[in-house]
Amino acid sequence: MTNLALLTAYVIVISLYVNLGIALYGIFARPSLVKKLIAITILSDTANAFAVLVGYRWPREALPRPPVIPELPVTRSVLEEYMQSAVDPLPQALVLTAIVIGLAVTLFIAFITIQYYRLYGTVDVRKVRRK
Amino acid sequence: MVKKSDVFVAISIAVFVLSLAYVTSLGGLGPLPPVDARKIAYAYLNLTYNPWQPFLTAFALESVTAIIWDFRGLDTLYETAVFYGAIIASIALYRGVKISLSKKEWSKLGLSPIAKTVTRLSFVLIPTVAASVALHGHLTPGGGFQAGSIATVVIVLAIIIFSRYFLPKHGVSKNRALLFRSIGLMGVGLTSIAILLAALALGTNAYIFQNQAKLNSPLSFPARVDDYTLGGSLLFFNLFEFIAVAFGFTIVFLLLSVSEEEVRKVVTRD
Amino acid sequence: MLEIFTLSLLTLFALTSVVAAYLAIRERDLVKAIVYSAIQSSMYALIYYVLMAPDIVLVYIPVSVGLIPAVLLFVVKKTERYEGE
Repeated sequence: MTNLALLTAYVIVISLYVNLGIALYGIFARPSLVKKLIAITILSDTANAFAVLVGYRWPREALPRPPVIPELPVTRSVLEEYMQSAVDPLPQALVLTAIVIGLAVTLFIAFITIQYYRLYGTVDVRKVRRK
Repeated sequence: MVKKSDVFVAISIAVFVLSLAYVTSLGGLGPLPPVDARKIAYAYLNLTYNPWQPFLTAFALESVTAIIWDFRGLDTLYETAVFYGAIIASIALYRGVKISLSKKEWSKLGLSPIAKTVTRLSFVLIPTVAASVALHGHLTPGGGFQAGSIATVVIVLAIIIFSRYFLPKHGVSKNRALLFRSIGLMGVGLTSIAILLAALALGTNAYIFQNQAKLNSPLSFPARVDDYTLGGSLLFFNLFEFIAVAFGFTIVFLLLSVSEEEVRKVVTRD
Repeated sequence: MLEIFTLSLLTLFALTSVVAAYLAIRERDLVKAIVYSAIQSSMYALIYYVLMAPDIVLVYIPVSVGLIPAVLLFVVKKTERYEGE
């Protein structure tokens, strides 16, 4: 593991942290409800990207493989090579569930935002607070 | 004009990001990039298709689908319930709103005839791709949610390029989509307790979400037919989930496209 | 050699997504903000592809580049288009 590879890995992780910070700033400091909803989707996508990044692996000689068995019939050597070179499948399953739940919450907040506009006439949080 | 609270928020978020970066550089996330998989990953990868341990395996060639629908099936059931709850909330908000037909004639609605003709091609092609992705979800990457999301693009295209009156006129109304969504959800529920019902009829032991035969329950879904790997109950789960997700999104987009004048007659407080 | 290729692709996509996210939060016209957030999501989909997660790519592209911008565009059409001061 050379120093250049380590440095590049840190650049990737720190740019994901900066995305997290930008999304948090968007939730706290922007007054429109739709902008807050966009920032919430960026935040949940960044958290999912972290989970998939933690599940990656570097095998010794070649690039890793996706978690699919590539050939039939499955002999012991095929299974052994699959286990030594495949990426962790458990974070991917959890991220699939998380994407669908995030989508359900986003749809719900979108409907509530339209209802806000019908009742209060504005989607600006500062003006809604004064009514 | 920059407010004081905005500056305070920006500075505190910058401190948060810098401290996260410092903790990562000390090794907080483990060695980066990760060097070896964890032991639990080896356990799941080993048990995906393992003919030498027939009581613990899932007999599917795809690890992620096996984890979602066989090893951790209850998580997926609860996530489907959360999605269903969001759709029910949106239907409840629109209670009493009628989706009516238009008064203009059909050739004036929507975009130009060129756009309409080209879109009619994709009405056949996109659901075919989606059904193919759903049906081979246990062999290659694919599955129920993927196919349902792809099939919803057809609904969005129909609402934008034809008009919003096109789908209710041709039979895809809100109530019918709700019916098919409930049929898909009932299919998922029945597949999860199918072996339980069969075992109750025959008098043996069984588990919920059971795919293959376990140590003290001898019934199982068929794992292979002749030469094709069926994946047990994963095929049925993917199919019903595809129907449920596609029609669920249809309801959402049908409700979102109703015009504001019709909604305000019913929904606002007067 | 191959790991340099993977890491450089990941760095390119991650830095582009930072630029796109910053532009999405800073923009006052909400339609343009939705387009910038769709660009950021497609960069994330490419990151998921390089990290060997094909199931997630197949969910993420229709949901986050097709369905969520469609829903948000409906919401912007029914409420205000420009964000306030």
